[in-house]
Amino acid sequence: MILASHGIISSQIASFDADALAFFARVTAAGGTLSATEKAATNQLVLDLKANSLWTPMKAIYPMVGASAAACAQNLKSSSFTGTFTSGWTFASTGVTPNGTSAYFNTNLPSNTMSNGSTHMSYYSRTNAVGSGVIDMGTESPDFLIWYNAFGASLGNFGVNMIYTPTITDTRGFLLASKYTTTQGLIQFNSTQQLKTGLTGDTRSTKNIFIGAINTGAPAGYFSAKQTAFNSIGDGLTDTQASNFYTAVQAFQTTLSRQV
Amino acid sequence: MIGGYILTPEQYDQVQGQFINPYQFINCVQDINDVWFFFGNEQDKEVFKDTEFMWLFDLPQGEYIPKPSPPFPI
Repeated sequence: MILASHGIISSQIASFDADALAFFARVTAAGGTLSATEKAATNQLVLDLKANSLWTPMKAIYPMVGASAAACAQNLKSSSFTGTFTSGWTFASTGVTPNGTSAYFNTNLPSNTMSNGSTHMSYYSRTNAVGSGVIDMGTESPDFLIWYNAFGASLGNFGVNMIYTPTITDTRGFLLASKYTTTQGLIQFNSTQQLKTGLTGDTRSTKNIFIGAINTGAPAGYFSAKQTAFNSIGDGLTDTQASNFYTAVQAFQTTLSRQV
Repeated sequence: MIGGYILTPEQYDQVQGQFINPYQFINCVQDINDVWFFFGNEQDKEVFKDTEFMWLFDLPQGEYIPKPSPPFPI
């Protein structure tokens, strides 16, 4: 009788992937809320990642949905690595925006969770802000960090060979840096991909990876003011995986009407 | 001009790293003269309401001039 009177809700619950459902439960338990559209988009994202062998490599996925710290702090992949925001962030349905002076997001995910030969990070910027002295995500070098614009010219860092060229003139879009062997990697900005070989070794510290700045240990620096609508951290992604990842993330953003 | 709330060193020690809720904590930064600043926006003000740290929004405000960026770490 109860099931019959709640048939629509039951069928909606049944249609969600179990990992998406678990994420929704974590958001709710934290005091956050998600709209029906946000749930549908997130669920489809999970399905797309799984269909393209992208779910397993992920350690943390922050879809930045729910327009609150409680919701955006949650990791879609698992109950581990729930993040914490400092003061100075603005939360909106379009994503989260650091103030560029003091704000960062501590993923609570140590950089050495990944190995030298298999690691990636991504950042979906909805802000066009070319400038110097800003790093959007990572831990202090020699380690793992990505940025949209360093002196107007560079993206990514796994040694000097992970620099993206030519200069980016509009920083809106999905930036992904991946190292999938100890010497091979790629850097991808939206659908444009550059494969890199002959990479030098890089180290992994025990420092947590930050978003909106980097973890300098003091505690943060190189503050960014770019709104982010998606971030991920995990094992290395191949060129095919990275390409499929962009397609999935862009579809997710399009469903949420916040694609760039 | 970037404006922020000015803290004494004692006030900084009192609030730095303190959690407002399980998902948000306070972070202050030093300006070019080593003065501590707190930056809180309207959403922060709502979150801080009913906490013991609401007084941060009553502190004097001043212009924040950041320290020069250190060399790019690559």
